[in-house]
Amino acid sequence: MASKVKQITVWARGVVQDKEGRDIANGLANAAKKEGKFTQAFDNYVDLPDRVNVPLRKYARISDEEIEERYEYENEKPEVVIVADATLVKGINVLRGMEKGGVLVVNTDRKPEDILKFIPNRDLLKAIVCVDAKGICGEATVDFSGSEGGVDAVGLGAGMAAPILGALVRGTNLVKLENLAAVVKNKEALYKGHEQAVVKTL
Amino acid sequence: MFIIPKEKEVPLGCITPAPVTEQTMMITGNWREYRPVIDQEKCNLCMNCIVYCPDACWQLNEAEDEVVWNAKYCKGCLICVNECTTEALSKAYELDFEDGVVRLEKPF
Repeated sequence: MASKVKQITVWARGVVQDKEGRDIANGLANAAKKEGKFTQAFDNYVDLPDRVNVPLRKYARISDEEIEERYEYENEKPEVVIVADATLVKGINVLRGMEKGGVLVVNTDRKPEDILKFIPNRDLLKAIVCVDAKGICGEATVDFSGSEGGVDAVGLGAGMAAPILGALVRGTNLVKLENLAAVVKNKEALYKGHEQAVVKTL
Repeated sequence: MFIIPKEKEVPLGCITPAPVTEQTMMITGNWREYRPVIDQEKCNLCMNCIVYCPDACWQLNEAEDEVVWNAKYCKGCLICVNECTTEALSKAYELDFEDGVVRLEKPF
């Protein structure tokens, strides 16, 4: 049962990218829900997310059957890892727990080779996707209205999360682009991210 | 009046001796996006970076007569770059450097 659940982990920076990380996890889960999948999306509060710039995790789970592991608050074996800030690859073992054949999505203006040299366990990866989300839609949106179950006032995917989600479709087959476009607010950035993403298969 | 016997006198709480120079329970080097880079020729040892750094990541190396940066604990707040009087410090993007890797398994 547990093996059929696809686990997605998002790494972001505390406070400054809290909204973006949350949007990536929620947008992915909402888009998969439109395809009739069972989904979960939640934050990790162990990472002290209320400090500026700390590395923190957001999780999403997608499954064809009902997800039974409701009371586990961490993704132990992520299939897809999304890094919302490229400098995190120097500070954290982002591929922790990943089994062979995973996908890494990085928000960076650098080439995939420049990122891969900072990842010692890169043989676990099937593909790496790089997208310059900051270049496509500027600085990250900082907003806390949607956190901890509140109503999101800004809207899902208004900022940097949209191009990263577009790039994710290039590297994986988790969700379809048209389902993401129905969920995400900034559709232009979503398509731009999908076009401009650099995919490198390993 | 209560008198403490001389042999039972306790040391002041504020000067508890600690035989460590770093707190390995909380390594903050992976918070950093931009790092300060020092130009030793411009530096006149005004010590502003040492005074203003909130994590004591700048130390004076008395033998070499220069200030030394600690990559393991620097959070990249760049207060030192603001306070530098001779513009010897400048900020640089972290991915431009091979060193300064603090690869932790969990954030804490």
